[in-house]
Amino acid sequence: MKILVCIKQVPDMESRFRVNSAGTWYEEQDLAFRLNEYDEYAIEQAVRVKEGLGGAADITVLSIGPDRAVEAIKKGLAMGGDRGVHIKADQPHQMDAWQIASLIAAFARDKNFDLIFTGLQSQDRGSGQVGGMVAELLGFACVTTVVGFELNGAVAAIRREMEGGLRGVVRLALPLVVTCQLGLNTPRYPTLPNIMKAKQKELLTFQAADFPVGDSLVQTEKMYPPEKKGRGLVLEGDVNELADKLAAILKEKAPALR
Amino acid sequence: MEITREFYWNVGHGVTLPMYIFAGLTVAILIYGFVRRIRVYRLGKPLKRTDHLLLRFLRFVKRGLGQLRVMLVKAPGIPHAVMFWGILLLFIGTVLVLIQVDFTDPLFDIQFLKGAFYQAFSLILDLAGLSAILMLAGLAVRRYIYKPKGLVTTWEDYFIGASLTVILLLGFLAEGARMAITELDANPGLAVWSPVGLLAARLLSGLGEETIRQIHVIGWWTHFLLAMTLIASIPFTKLRHLLLTPTNYLFADLREKGAIETLNLEAQVDHFGAATVADLTWKDIYDADACTSCKRCQDRCPAWNTDKPLSPMKVVQQIGEVAFTKPTANLIETVTTDALWACTTCYACQEICPADIEHVNKILEMRRSLVLMQGEFPSAGAMTAVNNIEVNGNPFGMAFAGRADWAEGLDVQHMADGGQVDVLYFAGCYASFDKRNQSVARNFIKICNAAGVKVGILGKEEKCCGEPARKLGNEYLYQMMATENIERFKAYGVHHIVTTCPHCFNTLSRDYRDLGLEAEVEHYTTFLDRLVSEGKLVLKPQSLDLTYHDSCYIARYKGITEEPRHLLQAAGGQVREMERSKANTFCCGGGGGRVLTEENLGRRINVERVEMAVATGAPLLVSNCPFCLTMFEDGIKTGGAEGSLQVRDLAEIIAERL
Repeated sequence: MKILVCIKQVPDMESRFRVNSAGTWYEEQDLAFRLNEYDEYAIEQAVRVKEGLGGAADITVLSIGPDRAVEAIKKGLAMGGDRGVHIKADQPHQMDAWQIASLIAAFARDKNFDLIFTGLQSQDRGSGQVGGMVAELLGFACVTTVVGFELNGAVAAIRREMEGGLRGVVRLALPLVVTCQLGLNTPRYPTLPNIMKAKQKELLTFQAADFPVGDSLVQTEKMYPPEKKGRGLVLEGDVNELADKLAAILKEKAPALR
Repeated sequence: MEITREFYWNVGHGVTLPMYIFAGLTVAILIYGFVRRIRVYRLGKPLKRTDHLLLRFLRFVKRGLGQLRVMLVKAPGIPHAVMFWGILLLFIGTVLVLIQVDFTDPLFDIQFLKGAFYQAFSLILDLAGLSAILMLAGLAVRRYIYKPKGLVTTWEDYFIGASLTVILLLGFLAEGARMAITELDANPGLAVWSPVGLLAARLLSGLGEETIRQIHVIGWWTHFLLAMTLIASIPFTKLRHLLLTPTNYLFADLREKGAIETLNLEAQVDHFGAATVADLTWKDIYDADACTSCKRCQDRCPAWNTDKPLSPMKVVQQIGEVAFTKPTANLIETVTTDALWACTTCYACQEICPADIEHVNKILEMRRSLVLMQGEFPSAGAMTAVNNIEVNGNPFGMAFAGRADWAEGLDVQHMADGGQVDVLYFAGCYASFDKRNQSVARNFIKICNAAGVKVGILGKEEKCCGEPARKLGNEYLYQMMATENIERFKAYGVHHIVTTCPHCFNTLSRDYRDLGLEAEVEHYTTFLDRLVSEGKLVLKPQSLDLTYHDSCYIARYKGITEEPRHLLQAAGGQVREMERSKANTFCCGGGGGRVLTEENLGRRINVERVEMAVATGAPLLVSNCPFCLTMFEDGIKTGGAEGSLQVRDLAEIIAERL
């Protein structure tokens, strides 16, 4: 079984974001970077599949980004990946989801992967398109927003989140792209021996230019913080009064309670 | 007439051979028993504990022969010490007899048990025996009638206590029988030097000489055989503490209090931390044998006292049990993770232990195994906090870029901007990010400004000192944080660091030494106290009724108890002491990384301590630690002390009196 996990290194969401001088992305200074949360679920699931097969699987952890992205790959290897692939791109934000997916597909095309795990979306751009596009480019089936994954031979039983609070179960044959959602699993904390071993694992480095991909289909026009509209509401009064007021507001504004 | 007595009276010198055969047998059993135990100690990893031999010997004399540690708790401690000295004197007396009768007299015709020395010898041994009996009786009353909570009694206690008492009584019986015949009428002048023997002699004197002689022979042999049995039982019963506790003083950890082994993370080892006894050191197994089950550690443990499944005594003994019964078994399964995670590393157990047992690092080694080998944490919250430290350098997950926001508008020097400073203030995560504790940082700067001290900060270049991660067992993350901080200190040529957090203080001043930090590190309580005594910081005292909480890491680990009290007095504070204060302080519940995780088992430690503060009647609780402040703010609310008690940091009190 050959598994590919596509991950991204993103800024910690608590960081202080400032729009860059071009006005199209954020300034990188003063940001703390970490592994995209949804990609952690992807790595964890890949490692669980491998463990379920008694180790008879090979996990490649791939990331596109500048040098710092290697840290995210190392974390993936410490969690249980077998080899890292770093496709170097200093300004990955200038590539759209199509280009990113094309790069991944170009790398993966002749590698005979059976399963590709990735996050539902990246925490910074959040397009949610890369997984689906990779599947399309490789001709794989694709299941998005996955919260449950079970593999029986060459068939996967998958639970996914759907709109309106519904969940669906699909059963389909490999090869397959799966995009992972919160709730799928609890990512493990890498053990020290695995962190140390990760440093010795194979890391293949490519330049984005090594893979011919077409032009961006989408351009970022402008990036800006949302305008401040309205403000918080502070309720006052005794507990019963507060509860009544809150209930009234919820009834009026939250459709789920109607 | 020569002042002495006939040795081997009535039993005759013919007893020498059988006596030595029995004694030889006893010693053989004793050695056999200990060799078997030593084999088990050697299951542990090697550890050098034989440096500074003179220091170690002095410790052995003071703590072992001097019983200083035992007497720390007076009620059972002093009777134990008196009993010990009594029996020790009797042992020495017996050995003196052997030396004269079986060696110096027959070989060199030298007798020293005579004259005034013999009189003193008789009197001292009689009083020693009497004292030992009385103390044993007192200790028996404590154990069997008063029954202190938590004191475990087994057959060994009955056996040892009864045997000692019977041996002592039989000694007096044999002495009395001998004196009834040889001294009572024949030499009353000498008899008065053995007052207890004299009393026994008077009681026996009505019986005929033949009966008295028979009583003597039976008494003498029973006394001897029982004594040999007891000695032979040493390695097989709790009595082994007789040898192991004093030698444990010899093998004590002489490093600075609270020192933790800095792991070599690159080492090619199978295991980090301890999951089996083989991962611990020989000393950790030895400690289990040195434990006397006095349960003093348990009595003081904040976890045990709030109904959590941790008893430091049990942990130590479980290591012994596993080592001796199933040495390859998983130790953590026996101790349980709940017990391991309950420890606040407050050090109260080690501070009071009369046997110099090292509880805290054993727990830490097992935590290291959980975190480093299994990625296991006490809670999801703790794991998130640890991840946050890794990404943003603080457990809250706040943006590292905002680390110096608290200092806005204050007269501090950001080290990155260059310029000379008198001290570097290492604010730590809580004073940097936690709203309540930011007030401590700001007030500390105000105080320094008033004293004319130029303060620098690392600002966003500062990272968590790594202490909570380390105490949770995450040595890897600790070293990552420590190395980065040390690099910054060195890059800026920092020579004097002051912290407001006792945990940062302990870590920087002691733990960072292993990683190459050389700068002087100080806690603000001693720093400010010195500024006051040098006249650089002038306070306007205002009367204040308060109670002071000694944080574990300042009072117990670092022995700083007077400076904060001086400061409070200089500020006009009248301190009402809590029953548990200074080195005997009771933890707030926040140490050992516990501040980062929920407290779901038993009662809440912070509420327990808040209740102790309320009991003093003081309306104000002053502390010197961000964890304490956080725990008490919470404890006052959950413990229903709002309105009757307020908690403030020492820096806040001082800053109001500039």
